[in-house]
Amino acid sequence: MATLTVPNPVTDKVITALEQAIGKEKVRTDLGARIARTRVPAPFPVHRFADYMPDVVVLPESAEEVSAILRIANQFRVPVVPRAGGTGLADGAVPLHKGILLDIKKMNKILELDLVNRTVTVQPGLNMLKLNEYLAPYGVFYPDDPASYPVSIIGGRIGTSGWSLIGSRYGHTRDLVISLQVVLPTGEIVRLSDGGGAPKVRKASTGYNLKQLFIGTQGTLGVVTEATLELFPKPEAELAAFFGYESFEDAYRSTGALSTSGLGTLAAVILFDERKVDYLRRDDEAYIPLPERIKAVVATALYGVEEEVRAAANRLFRIAKETGGEYLGDELSAGDWASRHDRYATPLHGRLPDGTVVPMSWHCEDAAIIYSELPAIKQKWHEITDRYIQKYGIFDNWGMFFYSNNPYKGWGDYLVEIDIGIWEQALNEETWQAWVNLKREITQATLEHQGSISACHGACREGDAEFIPVELREGGFELMKKIKRLLDPNNILNPSKNYLHLAYIDEEVGV
Amino acid sequence: MSDEIRTTQPETASANGHDGVREIEQEFVRGHLLQAYGCFSSGHKFCREVCPVYQVTRNEQHTPTAFHANVVAMEKGAARLEDVAENYSYCTLCGGCELRCPNTLFVGDFYRNRTRTVKLVQDMRAAANKAGLGLWPQWQRWVEATMVGKNEPVLDYQNIQPVDPNRVADWAKDLPFEIPKGGENILFVDCEAAYYRTSLPKAVAKILHAAGVPFGLMYEQWCCGGPSLEMGYPDHARYLAEHNVADWKKAGAKRVFVLDPHDYISFVDMYPQFFPPEELPEFVFMIDFVAQLLDEGKIRFVKPIEKTVTYHDPCRMNKRLGKWEAPRKILRAIPGLTFIDVDHVTQWAYCSGAGGGFAVEHPDLAKKIADLRISRAKELNVEALVSACPWSERPLTSSGREQQLEVLDLLEMVAEAMGLND
Repeated sequence: MATLTVPNPVTDKVITALEQAIGKEKVRTDLGARIARTRVPAPFPVHRFADYMPDVVVLPESAEEVSAILRIANQFRVPVVPRAGGTGLADGAVPLHKGILLDIKKMNKILELDLVNRTVTVQPGLNMLKLNEYLAPYGVFYPDDPASYPVSIIGGRIGTSGWSLIGSRYGHTRDLVISLQVVLPTGEIVRLSDGGGAPKVRKASTGYNLKQLFIGTQGTLGVVTEATLELFPKPEAELAAFFGYESFEDAYRSTGALSTSGLGTLAAVILFDERKVDYLRRDDEAYIPLPERIKAVVATALYGVEEEVRAAANRLFRIAKETGGEYLGDELSAGDWASRHDRYATPLHGRLPDGTVVPMSWHCEDAAIIYSELPAIKQKWHEITDRYIQKYGIFDNWGMFFYSNNPYKGWGDYLVEIDIGIWEQALNEETWQAWVNLKREITQATLEHQGSISACHGACREGDAEFIPVELREGGFELMKKIKRLLDPNNILNPSKNYLHLAYIDEEVGV
Repeated sequence: MSDEIRTTQPETASANGHDGVREIEQEFVRGHLLQAYGCFSSGHKFCREVCPVYQVTRNEQHTPTAFHANVVAMEKGAARLEDVAENYSYCTLCGGCELRCPNTLFVGDFYRNRTRTVKLVQDMRAAANKAGLGLWPQWQRWVEATMVGKNEPVLDYQNIQPVDPNRVADWAKDLPFEIPKGGENILFVDCEAAYYRTSLPKAVAKILHAAGVPFGLMYEQWCCGGPSLEMGYPDHARYLAEHNVADWKKAGAKRVFVLDPHDYISFVDMYPQFFPPEELPEFVFMIDFVAQLLDEGKIRFVKPIEKTVTYHDPCRMNKRLGKWEAPRKILRAIPGLTFIDVDHVTQWAYCSGAGGGFAVEHPDLAKKIADLRISRAKELNVEALVSACPWSERPLTSSGREQQLEVLDLLEMVAEAMGLND
């Protein structure tokens, strides 16, 4: 088997082959095309900008064209990196080895709406907001609702196994995909569902459940070219309630009580720690009027039919009150929930230790941590972050969120987010390495507390990826390597992501 | 500025040699670096699905995020001006991205910050032209023809032939009343309206006449200069603007009525960059003025218009200047009319494709944008789409013809409802 630790460069021959296969206008080598697809919103070593610029951008419009591109990549042994919305927070779409950047955004058609069986079949380049604008007149909606809802696209949601803000009521991306069409690294086009091959069947035990294998691969095992998705009745009622607490400990206990309430309409429970509330007070006008005694906040949301939501609201408010929560009012609750996509995605500016405001890039840690470990993780992550802020002065601590992380229920593990600002303009190799070390320490703390490195962004970045073999040490990573080698014998699809370059090195040295 | 009108026209072809390009590039980078990092470091791209051009190209390099990332790439030496400049023609300068930008939405109140992508694109176009890159031959011809005709060459998009400047007021010839030259109130008639959609200035003249508002025309009206600025020729824009300001001064103008959003934004956004406030008259957008006349009872709608319509927010009014209430007020006041509104925020994502010179350089894509706007109106089961911008009305009318949807002008409807066409 060929090994590919150093991928082949994209030559004129590759370009010509691509142009012949999909047409000249869909193959772009101009710098503008490549710069636009060099990074994602995650912190980026901007001082080494050119290191991540792809050699060529392809803009396919069908599964057949994707297949042709992958066959060419295999023929010439050059890397292909799939890119969806380019809004990921973990570098899944960053071309580590340059090569061919496969942008799926032109594939944005809605192929079939089946209102009888409650499915919609789409191409992966479609944005969820646009899909829901289309679905609105039919009284149904597709409830995948990340912070990036107005801009991210379905292919990327599947590629990262995304998390939805209302997932505790409606499920997350992996729960909302019924079946998939995938182009394998070697170019075969396959249809995969929950076992069996019936595209609209949600639950089957015929054959392997191959669909889930292709969700969250970060484009290392295939390129999704079509998806059949779940539709829900549009909620009649949506109620957001935010509660304030005098201590984090109270808010933490209340989060537990609210999450385990058994309310079926409960769509989200989100805990804000003291540092998050401080940050919002400092830099977000909506939170300035909060009384000083409020140290932590819990946000909740109920979705469903009117009678259910009304009854659930009574119970929800009672639990919050009994556990020390103070309702923060309709204006803050409704307003903050309505702006959830913008607000939670957009710290955007930060402060240096002396208070100077500078544009900052946003690191959004997204470990999955079980409830019992949340207080300990909070303490450790802040300690790590503050130590680096003190030493380097180009980071900012924007506090932490803890989001209910499970489909159809509020309890279990939480998506734990610490938001860290990075002053990119001031980055050099030393401070970039400092940043990566900060990341590593955070990841180590996650693993020490039986957490998983990533709940939804993927563990693709330096500081995350090298710990995948550690987290999956009980045979999981060995199996991943075998699967990767089996499906992608020439290591052309998003090479080195998820630390899977080891899949090929092992082969070479006979480990 | 002096009373004397400058007689030497700027040249469109630049004399800058290759050495000048780096200097121009670095000046451009310096001017936009902080904003560029504000976007680059955020990178969330919430602007993207709002962008009318991206909606039809689905190409990430035609997005505001890419426009800002290029600045950072140039700063880091990963790209040169000439590598990326061409992309900046893929923009209608509608300003929707600026509004949808989280930096504007959430940082704006704190730090008085607003992302200025329109300015970024205009400055890049100017830099590319100054550097003599010769990227946009249609724009160059357009501006050259404007210099000859003193008004935009709106009668011949294909060959871009100058109009006859002496016919700029021909639209007024068959009105039942005379309009004098000069005076305190001046009606400024946009190029597209003066030469192509002449029914619009006629309607406006009738409205003013019926309301008893005295007004005159300019001695010699030239293009406002906005399109030259948008196509990357700021010196030409200024040349045209200086003439108009001198003409107003000669007329003793205190107030200029403006019937086109593109002129209006030139006057309230561009002119103050060229002239001190005391040199400029007050600019009154006709839609606002009609709404005011209605409020004051100075005009009345007497003739019903039995139609079901929706309204197209002109980008420059809604997105760039935040003006969207007056047209809705007028539509709701017209008897017989059923008005199905699409709120102005949803319309941040709508555009006719006509603005920012886009239709001159990219006519096929501009048509797709117009087609999309018409199809959105069609979904509402209306009989007509009403606009308040003559530039949008030509492409929308053409797409509307293909999709069987009538396109109307709001001020023309006002004249109709006032019974002035009988």
